[in-house]
Amino acid sequence: MGRNRRPSKQMLLLLEALSARTQQWRHGYDLMKETRLLSGTLYPLLIRMTDLGLVEAEWREPEHLGRPARHAYRLTNAGVAFARTVAPASPTTFTKAALA
Amino acid sequence: MTLALSRALLSLASRSLGSDRRTWAMAMEAEFETAVEDRRPFMFALGCLFAAWREIGKRSEGRLILANYALALGLLIPMAALQFQQAVGFLSLAEGPPFGVPRAGDGPNLYLIWSQNSAIPILLITWLLLGMAHLCLARMLVEGDWPRIVKCGMLIGAAMITLSLFMGVLMLDLSSLRAQVAELATEFVAVVAMSRWHIRVLACASRDLLAQ
Repeated sequence: MGRNRRPSKQMLLLLEALSARTQQWRHGYDLMKETRLLSGTLYPLLIRMTDLGLVEAEWREPEHLGRPARHAYRLTNAGVAFARTVAPASPTTFTKAALA
Repeated sequence: MTLALSRALLSLASRSLGSDRRTWAMAMEAEFETAVEDRRPFMFALGCLFAAWREIGKRSEGRLILANYALALGLLIPMAALQFQQAVGFLSLAEGPPFGVPRAGDGPNLYLIWSQNSAIPILLITWLLLGMAHLCLARMLVEGDWPRIVKCGMLIGAAMITLSLFMGVLMLDLSSLRAQVAELATEFVAVVAMSRWHIRVLACASRDLLAQ
C-alpha cells in the first residue's frame, strides 16, 4: 500500500487505538477488543503496517507464569507522524460510528 | 470439539503463512490462549486462517504453497485414486481367463496360468504401494519436505519399473500401463518444475535475509 493512499476505516481505527498511548506496547487480542476488528482484519493490517515501518513489534514476557510470550505492537515515530497526518483535530473522528 | 477444531484451523493458518511470516504465525498462536480464555477461540482461529490466506497471494512463497496444494489435490491425489482403482480392477480381471493370450484351440497353458496367479499378489501389492506412495507424495509436497519427496519419487519409479516388468513378462499385457506412464511423466515434470520454483524462492529468501 502506498502511503499517499487514503487509509481504510479499519486502519484508522487501529491507528487511533495505537496512537492513544504511543509508548505503550499493545497485544493483538487487546487491540482486537478495543477496535472491534476481527483477527482476519487486524493481522493483515498489522503485518502491512509493520512492513511499511509504521508499527514496530516485539516479543514481551508473559504476564502469568507458564504462558507463552506474546507479540506486542506500538507505533514507530513514522507511525505517530502518519497517524497525526491522517487524523483531523478531534480524536473522536476515528470512532467506528463516525467512520460508518 | 470446538477447541480442537480451532487449534486445527490455527495450525493450518500457521502453516499457510510460510517461513518468512513465521513470527506472525507465532504471534497468532500466542494470542490464541487469550482467545480461549475469552471463549472465542473458533472466531479467532478462523480469522487467523482468513488473514493467512489473504497473505498467501501477495508473496512468492505463498504462491508456491498454493501451487503445491493445487498439484497435490489436482494431480497426485487423483493419481493415487487411479492406482487403487487399477488394483481393484486388476483383482477382478485375475478371476477371468489368462492375460494377453488370444483364445486358441490348444487349451489353456497351465504353466502360464500358474505363473500369472503367482504374480497376482505381488502386482496387487505394488499397485497399492503406488497408490499409498502418491498419497504420501501429496502430503510431503504440501509440507515442502523435499528430501523425502526425492525418496518417494524414487520408490514410485522403482514400483513402476517392477510393475512394467511383471506385466510385460508374465501378463504379456502392457495396455493398462500406457496411460499411467504418460500420467507419471506429467507428474514427474510438474514435481521437477515445483522443485525448481522452490529453489528460486529459497534463493530469494536467503538473499533477503543476508541483505537484512
